[in-house]
Amino acid sequence: MARHQFGDKDVSASCRAPNDIPRARPEIRSPPMPSSVPLITRQFSALGRYSVLMLGAVSTLTEWGTYRRNIGTQMMRVGVDSLPIVCMATAFSGAVTTVQTAYQLVSPFIPDSIIGAIVTSSMVLELGAVVTGFILAGRVGARIAAEIGTMRVTEQIDALESMGLNSVGYLIVPRVLAGIVMFPVLYVIGTFVGISGGLLVGSLGGFVPAGDFLDGAREYFQPFDPVFGVIKAFVFGFAITSVSCYMGYYADGGAEGVGRATTQAAVLSCVYLLLADLVLAATLL
Amino acid sequence: MKYSNELKVGISIILAGVIFVLGIRFFEDLPLFRTTYDLETELDDAAGLIPGNVVRVNGVTVGSVDEVFINPENNRVRVRFHVDRDVPVREGTETAVSGLDALGVVRMDLLLGPPGGEPVPSGGFLPNRSEPDLLTSLANRAPVLLDQVDRVMEDLGGVLTSSRTQLEDPASDVRMLLLSVRSTVGALDETLRAERRRVSSILTNVDSLTGALSNAVGGGDSLAAAVQDLRGLVRRMDATLAGLDRTLGGVDTLLGKINRGEGTVGLLVNDPSLYRRTDSVLVSIEALLADFRANPGRYLKEMRIVDLF
Repeated sequence: MARHQFGDKDVSASCRAPNDIPRARPEIRSPPMPSSVPLITRQFSALGRYSVLMLGAVSTLTEWGTYRRNIGTQMMRVGVDSLPIVCMATAFSGAVTTVQTAYQLVSPFIPDSIIGAIVTSSMVLELGAVVTGFILAGRVGARIAAEIGTMRVTEQIDALESMGLNSVGYLIVPRVLAGIVMFPVLYVIGTFVGISGGLLVGSLGGFVPAGDFLDGAREYFQPFDPVFGVIKAFVFGFAITSVSCYMGYYADGGAEGVGRATTQAAVLSCVYLLLADLVLAATLL
Repeated sequence: MKYSNELKVGISIILAGVIFVLGIRFFEDLPLFRTTYDLETELDDAAGLIPGNVVRVNGVTVGSVDEVFINPENNRVRVRFHVDRDVPVREGTETAVSGLDALGVVRMDLLLGPPGGEPVPSGGFLPNRSEPDLLTSLANRAPVLLDQVDRVMEDLGGVLTSSRTQLEDPASDVRMLLLSVRSTVGALDETLRAERRRVSSILTNVDSLTGALSNAVGGGDSLAAAVQDLRGLVRRMDATLAGLDRTLGGVDTLLGKINRGEGTVGLLVNDPSLYRRTDSVLVSIEALLADFRANPGRYLKEMRIVDLF
């Protein structure tokens, strides 16, 4: 039997195992709308296609055999491989926040411990999740859109469908699940590194003693803050990976279309990330 | 050694979970591995107390607030919190809410009961000692303070009005005083203009005088020697005066004895009969000597040469 390569995965085993092969879903890909259609109509249409795609992904969650081979690899790529750049970015964010807060606090009536409170709250509530989200939107979102888009324009997804594999379950679900699971992990580790970076720069730079920094952080700490951050991380992880999958899945126009889809995936991920940030802050805080 | 993807992902997830749990306990100022137990209290006013605020004993953080809600049975604020198991919360312990809500730094203080009391069990209830916070106290005193400020402002307005009237009245003392001051300043200015050359000359002389003084004193050695000589002189004068003082003391003692009639001189000075007897003796001796010079034979006729040698 010929070995079938889709992306970087061998699906021959799936084709050989009748029990693991899900029934092929009806084609959920609709033809692209012509540019003569008004923008608002196209946007609503895109929202509808995105919703249908995600519902299709949800409906395949129970088909563990479809994506179980992929999910470990995707979690590795989305999470573990992103750890160094996320840690570096959040460490610098914490350090810069410490220096700028110390620069702005010139009143003798404000204790130095406020610096620790501001840096910790900023990292836990906002910077830890948003900086990590921007990093993942550029690194992971673009890669997902490029991978799936290339498979689309080279008709590998059509081949999957023709072999009876559910392309949504096989390609999209593991990536979205990896984002949902690994983004909170990146958020927690990144926030920890960011606060440590702020503490280190504050004490070594003479801006605030380490004891005062931690005292301020404890004084103003609210237990719901990290819970809110984790909730944001779940939402950001879903938004980035699902939007990127959507852009790649509906890419067309050859190599140029893949490039366009990749760029749009990164940009739209950042936009939706900020939108979700605002909505969550307005509703949960 | 190559690790599988699943192992790396698992380690990352466990690491994040550990950081999350220990981080929250650390920032809540709770012991990372020791257990805590729950307590409850009721307040009339939460004063901004929210879950996560710290619980302190004598300024030491021992726990944090878990839940703040309205008790439907009595419409009071029910607070559930946990504290470290090592804290000796005994019967008689009370709670109090302190801190400034405006700054977001509200906390619950435990006022521990006497050491001999029974320990409060987990889930136990502690009474609250209601004390108004700083802002509430200020708000309560605000009407009185505003009245005082109002009176002060009225007084200030009266002072300003009378001052303005005085200044606007051409015949007022203030106006006259200002005119006098103005004319004095003008005269002084004219004098200074007229005597500018002399003033300059005087200042030059003062400058040269201070320079000469500086040169005279400038030799630090000569000044030190002069001071040393002066100091020696003063020391010698001091010793002389001390001797003189001692002498005067002796004279004073002697005069005292004489005045009291002690000693020969005292008796001579203070006893007039002795003086008179001495005087009469001296008169008699004088008469005897006169008689002896006039008639020596009367006294020497009985004296023999042999007896003399």
